[in-house]
Amino acid sequence: MSSSNTALYARIGRRETHSSRSMLAIVLAIVLIVVFAWVGTEVVIALLGMPALLVAPSDMFASAVGLPEQPAAFVAAAGIVAAVIGLVLIITSLSPGRRARHLIDTERAVTVVDNEVIASALARHASYAGNVDPDNATVSVSHRLGVVDLTPASGIPADRDAVTRAVTEQLDSYGLRPTVRARVRIAEKGKVGA
Amino acid sequence: MTSTNRFANRLLIFVCGLVLLAVGGAAAAAVLVPGIRDVWKDTGAQVTDQVGSWLQQTRLAGLEVSWILIAIVALLVIAIVLLIVFIARHGHGHTSRAVTDSSGEHGSTIVESAVAEQALQDALGGHSEFVASHVSTYKVRRTPVLKVSVTCRRGVSPKDAAAIVESKLLALDGLLGRELPALIQVSGGFRARVGKTTRLQ
Repeated sequence: MSSSNTALYARIGRRETHSSRSMLAIVLAIVLIVVFAWVGTEVVIALLGMPALLVAPSDMFASAVGLPEQPAAFVAAAGIVAAVIGLVLIITSLSPGRRARHLIDTERAVTVVDNEVIASALARHASYAGNVDPDNATVSVSHRLGVVDLTPASGIPADRDAVTRAVTEQLDSYGLRPTVRARVRIAEKGKVGA
Repeated sequence: MTSTNRFANRLLIFVCGLVLLAVGGAAAAAVLVPGIRDVWKDTGAQVTDQVGSWLQQTRLAGLEVSWILIAIVALLVIAIVLLIVFIARHGHGHTSRAVTDSSGEHGSTIVESAVAEQALQDALGGHSEFVASHVSTYKVRRTPVLKVSVTCRRGVSPKDAAAIVESKLLALDGLLGRELPALIQVSGGFRARVGKTTRLQ
């Protein structure tokens, strides 16, 4: 990676591996626009002295002030639901929002790889090393861990060490950032004809 | 790769969450906690009187309406405009120029990004490792950056996929006489899942 682009590549790499939260932000913005437009319309209609669309502004104000007189169960339930949604939004806004992707070390460009691609490559190598049909190898790759599940054919034992070696060698050769550790699990019960 | 302001996204989500949490918590507390319930009732009456007198005092001569209500409408309109601008600013950053060079004595040289995009896409199209490939150009911090996204067949090693794309990029560097920063995105997805598995190399 050329030195002049290091900062640029760091920025791109970070933005490609984390969610922009655009979807949620746009949905919230649309909800806010609808609410604001409705409230604004109600106020204008009240100023013109016409009947309200749904709720007149003075009634909105009166019911907010007189909240304790409303049925307690409804208000409490609605309030708690709103508070929980608010808490989830706050957590979402502060959490990193990692996407299921890894950076890999390359010379010329910054490279991001979906975890799915890593998993399918590992599955191919694991099934080859363990002498298992590719359909019976399941791999899931998360941020730091790749779990390889093999179901051997009955009577043909799969060599766990060989599979671990092959998978670890593959993972090392990819140069993933952050690094991924392999865990190989071989099903105790084989499958007939697998 | 887009120039979306991610901080603004998170700020909007955070503020909405804070308001919902505060309003919801206050409403629930007002009916569940007796102490808060009494305080709410007492201040509620005062607030109603206060707001009523404000609306009386701020009446506009001749119109018989308070300017506070007109100001509220104006604020809501401004907020709606700002939110529309906020939504519209998402996803920008594409550029059609890959190279702009004005160092020459007799004028400047501009290379359209379509040149690089088509050259790369052509070169990648022939590879059986990929089900699909797409090249686009974005401006990141005023620098044009190529984004090469390839969809791998099942089982292709990501390292091999990146190496193939890198070799094409190096060839493009030779063609253009300069190095364009690039992002390689190796993805799976639906087309990879239903496509044929790669053969073991």
